Amino acid sequence: MSKESQMRAAINQKLIEMGERERLKELLRAKLIECGWRDQLKALCKEVIKEKGIENVTVEDLVAGVTPKGRALVPDSVKKELLQRIRAFLAQHST
Amino acid sequence: MSPAGCSHVNGFKVDNWKQNLRVIYQCFVWSGSAETRKRKAKSCICHMCGAHLNRLHSCLHCVFFGCFSKKHIHEHAKNKRHNLAIDLLHGGIYCFVCQDYIYDKDMEQIAKEEQRKAWKLQGIGEKYSMWEPTKRELELLRHNPKRRKITANCTIGLRGLINLGNTCFMNCIVQALTHTPLLRDFFLSDRHKCEMQSNSCLVCEMSQLFQEFYSGHRSPHIPFRLLHLVWTHARHLAGYEQQDAHEFLIAALDVLHRHCKGDDNGKKANNPNHCNCIIDQIFTGGLQSDVTCQVCHGVSTTIDPFWDISLDLPGSSTPFWPLSPGSDGSVVNGDSHPSGATTLTDCLRRFTRPEHLGSSAKIKCSGCHSYQESTKQLTMKRLPIVACFHLKVRAELLLSVLIFQHPLNVFVCFSAV
Repeated sequence: MSKESQMRAAINQKLIEMGERERLKELLRAKLIECGWRDQLKALCKEVIKEKGIENVTVEDLVAGVTPKGRALVPDSVKKELLQRIRAFLAQHST
Repeated sequence: MSPAGCSHVNGFKVDNWKQNLRVIYQCFVWSGSAETRKRKAKSCICHMCGAHLNRLHSCLHCVFFGCFSKKHIHEHAKNKRHNLAIDLLHGGIYCFVCQDYIYDKDMEQIAKEEQRKAWKLQGIGEKYSMWEPTKRELELLRHNPKRRKITANCTIGLRGLINLGNTCFMNCIVQALTHTPLLRDFFLSDRHKCEMQSNSCLVCEMSQLFQEFYSGHRSPHIPFRLLHLVWTHARHLAGYEQQDAHEFLIAALDVLHRHCKGDDNGKKANNPNHCNCIIDQIFTGGLQSDVTCQVCHGVSTTIDPFWDISLDLPGSSTPFWPLSPGSDGSVVNGDSHPSGATTLTDCLRRFTRPEHLGSSAKIKCSGCHSYQESTKQLTMKRLPIVACFHLKVRAELLLSVLIFQHPLNVFVCFSAV
């Protein structure tokens, strides 16, 4: 494993242990709803479902059809805020 | 994707499967306690590549974790013929035979319970869950088949109000209140539980008013009961003379706030700082007043609750010629405004600037123990969800309207936030 992925794994572990990961997940969920991202994604998903037909569409179809646009649509402000939270957490709990 | 799940889960639903599934949720998906979290942090990595990202899944039949994106869990499923896996991020159950996530009622129930338990342990709170009708509610829906459909050009929520004799001051405020989304949501979801003994609860009447506005009727509504209740509870507004809309707003908010607590004649303590009624939740903000002594520079701070802010219009606009949005504009906050026009920001800037109180208005300074000159500054400590700004028209402008008989045209520009 590269140094970067080692560091990632270590940070992830710390986040899970202290329960911060759950809290961050919920913060992210709230922010994405607030800024309308979830509604945008809902619309994208509806398009995919219309294309494939509701009887045949699988979760994988949705994931594949929606992920690139979905990632691009996340506002920078949300990314910034999450990053700030993580940095603050690491600063508080650094070993 | 049927709610009955797929037939392939039947192989899993044997012996003590419910308890086993709960343990998997508790240990690897929604870990509530410190112990389970530690275990999850250490063990939840792909058995093939060691990554913790890539949509990690856990096999339901044995202890194996594999990436979904890299197909590591798919390989495991094929080799071992273990058809079911669980998504460790969201708790969904995947069936490799159906090649899709399946929604088994029993398993969903367990998932929901375990999530609620874990969240409670971590103090995250309750997750919002959508309304699922009970048996009784389904019965009611079947017996009442009429449905209201929102089409593109339907006017639901819009209704005119009849003028009951110079009551336009009340009507415009009522229209504003019925279009306040938070207030509308509160009343349409029946959140008011009336505790008042008498029949004169203004909140109940507001609730009725929202029902009228959303009834789908297109004829104008006659708010005679509302008017009568307002006259009863705010005597100073009674009568057929033209009143002040701003005064009506404040009186209405005050009565609604009191009636929310079932308090009929102001007997219970009127403490806005500790109230949790819908009116306070939406409209109450905190205004901070800092008085700085000019001698010792000690600052005395008070914070008072407010429902509205009265703003003076700055004197840059001449009172004798009404302004109109002209052709040459300026850009403020990214919006273009006509040049020389007053903006809301100008008014707020003026409101919050430090004001020298002068030698005739000395304040007793607790630091100097004597009367000293001071400056006072108002700032908004806490913003309400809905802020009401009262624009005070100056006397000269009103006088000019009287003398010159021109319409009162005052334009204040503001940017939509």
